[in-house]
Amino acid sequence: METELTKSTFSCKLGILSRPDGSAILSKDNTTVIAGIYGPIEVKLQKLLIDKASVECHYRPKSGLPGIEDRMHESIIRNTCEASLVASLHPRTAVLVAIQELQNSGQLISCAVNAVCLACLHAGIDMKFMFGAVTCFSNGVEMSLNPPAQTHIKAVFVFVFDSTEKRVIASHTKGIFTKEQFEEAVELCRSGSDQVFDYYKKVLTN
Amino acid sequence: MSQIEFVLPGQVVKDVKSVRGVTILGPGLRQNEDQPNTICVTQPGKLYFKSPNVYWIEGNRNRYIPKKYDLVVGVIVKKSGDMLKVDIGSAEHASLSLLAFEGATKKQKPDVQVGDIVYAKLLNAHREMEPELVCVDSYYRAGTLGVLSNDGFLMNISLTLAQKLLDIQNPLLRSLGKRFCYEIAVGVNGKLWINARKTKDVLNLMKVFQITDQNAKTDLSEVNKSIL
Repeated sequence: METELTKSTFSCKLGILSRPDGSAILSKDNTTVIAGIYGPIEVKLQKLLIDKASVECHYRPKSGLPGIEDRMHESIIRNTCEASLVASLHPRTAVLVAIQELQNSGQLISCAVNAVCLACLHAGIDMKFMFGAVTCFSNGVEMSLNPPAQTHIKAVFVFVFDSTEKRVIASHTKGIFTKEQFEEAVELCRSGSDQVFDYYKKVLTN
Repeated sequence: MSQIEFVLPGQVVKDVKSVRGVTILGPGLRQNEDQPNTICVTQPGKLYFKSPNVYWIEGNRNRYIPKKYDLVVGVIVKKSGDMLKVDIGSAEHASLSLLAFEGATKKQKPDVQVGDIVYAKLLNAHREMEPELVCVDSYYRAGTLGVLSNDGFLMNISLTLAQKLLDIQNPLLRSLGKRFCYEIAVGVNGKLWINARKTKDVLNLMKVFQITDQNAKTDLSEVNKSIL
């Protein structure tokens, strides 16, 4: 079982876009995503919430228009951001998250979530905690945090954890697996999330 | 004033000093309800402490959040009746009354057009309400506030650079003054207005601020020497 995320595979640059308040490009194992954050900004009347900031998420795939699957990615990211940002500090405003997919080699959701967190940190927006996503692959027998070379993948798990108590704040699964495998995957990803948070720290202190 | 450490959101700061149960928290910090005597960090940056009980975080925020009594530079975007709407870079446009200028009365209003630039003070900034600007002090004198000349040039800089420029000990503006003859208005909202005798001087000054902004991490005086 591979429990170590190979660290060197992460690469990131902050502030590559000039228009957004915060932006990050994150690449991991040939999966690359650009994320940008605007906020708090003016809100459309129909999306106005009087007690907190509303979070909007726009996801752009590599080519073409966003489809149904992309809408689901948006909802995962939006829900994660809503849980993490201190939205009550800026009522009657909006926080806009824009994501552009550049390359996809199987860990798109976790890479997008991590890029959004780095963009939030770069923008200096108020957050209750940081969030980090880890993808876990299962071939029915073994679990791995790194994409396996052979293509016999039975299930893919994505979990998003908070940085304080390592609670699961979002999960997404695909494929066939047992309840035991699911629990094993949660624990494996939780141990892998430490490396994601360590990486955030390394990026920001540099 | 002392810097403690680099902190990230979600981190908990323990053993917080307080005076009679009161601790003053600056931007980027939140009270922690779960445990007494601790504070929660909400922004990445350097944590600073000033005795006896003041804590704050210095990070790089890019979006301006209005604060009461801040001096800002803004652009008029709308004019309706006696009220002006001013873009100060925050989430909502600030309102500015035409009667809040020096010498203005109901019959004699100042000549302010859409697109004009004003240097104003925030009278009211509450998150639930629209920010409100005035161009007079509490004695109805304009002082340095008011409409800025249309000959000048407006540019956006980062909030950290705006704060550094407003620091009285900062040598940048003074040493630029030896080289150029210029007028400047710096708003804490990251908007900066410059005017000089020649267009070339304005362009040079603009370049200086842009370069300083890019090299925000390095020492300002170093950058200054290399330019001049």
